[in-house]
Amino acid sequence: MDILLQSVVNGILAGCIYALFAMGLTLIYGVLNFVNFAHGELIMWGAYFLYLFVSEPFSLPLWVAVAPALLCTVCLGMAMDFAVFRPLRKADRLTLLIAAMGLSFLLRNAAQFFWGAEVRTYGLEITRGFRFLGLSLTANQILIIGVTVICVIGVYLLFFRTSLGKSMRAVSDNLDLARVVGINARWSIRAAWVVSALLAGTGGILMALDTNLNPEMGVINLVKAFAATLIGGVGNLWGALLGGLLIGLAENLSVLVISPGYKDAVAFAIMVGILLTRPYIVTGKRMD
Amino acid sequence: MDLLLHLCVVIAIYSIFAMSLNIEVGYTGLFNFGHVAFLGIGAYTSALLSLAGFPFAFCLMVALAAAGLTGLLLSIPALRLQGDYFGIATLGFGEILRLVFQNEVWLTKGPMGLPGIPKPEMLGVRFESLPEYLGLAAVAALLTYLVLGAVTESPFGRALRAVRDDETAAEILGKNAFAFKTRSFVIGSVFAGLAGVLWAHYTSFVSPSDFTLNETIVVLLIVVLGGKGTRPGPVVGAVALIFLQESLRFLRLPPEWTRYLGPLQQMAFGALLVALMVFRPEGLIREKGRK
Repeated sequence: MDILLQSVVNGILAGCIYALFAMGLTLIYGVLNFVNFAHGELIMWGAYFLYLFVSEPFSLPLWVAVAPALLCTVCLGMAMDFAVFRPLRKADRLTLLIAAMGLSFLLRNAAQFFWGAEVRTYGLEITRGFRFLGLSLTANQILIIGVTVICVIGVYLLFFRTSLGKSMRAVSDNLDLARVVGINARWSIRAAWVVSALLAGTGGILMALDTNLNPEMGVINLVKAFAATLIGGVGNLWGALLGGLLIGLAENLSVLVISPGYKDAVAFAIMVGILLTRPYIVTGKRMD
Repeated sequence: MDLLLHLCVVIAIYSIFAMSLNIEVGYTGLFNFGHVAFLGIGAYTSALLSLAGFPFAFCLMVALAAAGLTGLLLSIPALRLQGDYFGIATLGFGEILRLVFQNEVWLTKGPMGLPGIPKPEMLGVRFESLPEYLGLAAVAALLTYLVLGAVTESPFGRALRAVRDDETAAEILGKNAFAFKTRSFVIGSVFAGLAGVLWAHYTSFVSPSDFTLNETIVVLLIVVLGGKGTRPGPVVGAVALIFLQESLRFLRLPPEWTRYLGPLQQMAFGALLVALMVFRPEGLIREKGRK
């Protein structure tokens, strides 16, 4: 029983992080109508930027280093759009997709070039978890839940309480119509990249705090983020949140019945399951 | 001389692999990002069977059948998806298959890999030495070129291009787009399996690290660089890329650089892929009749 409960808690923790990834992915999808195959690399670079600032020569304290790390992640996201996706706004899907795939490959190997392929950590001391009703929770894990809640509230306020959020929703619904009524689409697109990169970087940092960093962490998390967006309905922010939590739970509960080596396969299995049973989720109006 | 023969074998195998992806990406417009999975299925199937003592011809047939069947099974859920979604689904499949190779230790020996795969023996000839193996790989590549060429030049090939260019129009003309995509995917999978078989018996060793996303990117780059949707494109791309890759060896770099060389080369491949898409998406050879 304790194991089951602990798995549920671990699932929610992982799910919070997946939700951050998925919300960023679905946001770019909504505004620009394409899947950013390099989203996983924003996740990975977010974590590595923090690593850069906490190690030599900066050696900043972890909490201080978060700000420049996130700033760099946002810059990377903007640079991606500027150098690759903006010149290809009118390109056909195959071109766009291959370019995004190439970009992801470039960024992943760049991280490997600077830091090597090995697994790294931020070098934090291992702290004893708090015991609570037979569960074990570390300070990091409480932080994960706290930060996710803050991010979700922040996204909600941005989208539904500001005029920028309103224009982003308008662009997401119909770009041409939004332009006709005088919405500055360029700013909405930039804002979408900023928010997407912030969510990816935050999630990547939280994940690396709780486990470790390696250059491959982007690819596998892209698949999970995508599975989460499929569950929630593509382009739907709250669906992505829910989907992320469900993927996290399913993964951690799966360990009770199948080999842990296949934990990463669960998201894919769920994805295929959805495709087989509820294909209309992914063949809705946004699927052209 | 041996190096040149070796390069020719590698080019022949990569050409087959690239041609098999070209029928999907180039002719049918299927964004298969997990193509390496079928290379792996071909390689592992043939390796396991020949290590168990079966003759090469039998191993080859079973390996091709296994790759084709897996392609068929994957296509049923995956082909319900369009564009990007199909890409992610196949990407996930490729990663899952690597996990299978890595975790099913009883069958695949896991990360240790399978050493000592015997050289092929067929029709009384044992393809042991480099020139002999090159002969085998070259014949296989030529056959692939002719078969896939005939397929794509036929009415079937025209239907594939019609589905790629305008699925709705193809459906209105009475073409079952799903059926055409499935067939294209299965054909591509079978030939990727062939490349895998040739690769496994050539290096005589397979391990999960041979079948990562990197291979998918390399083969995608070959197809795009050569010119997707053209007959000679994948071959031209394979020659260009393998020589590009190998020429790095002749740069006399200090030994402490070698750690950086691999990632640097891969970065160059990624950058080349992006640059091609932005500046010359049609590749070296342009498809006839397309702007």
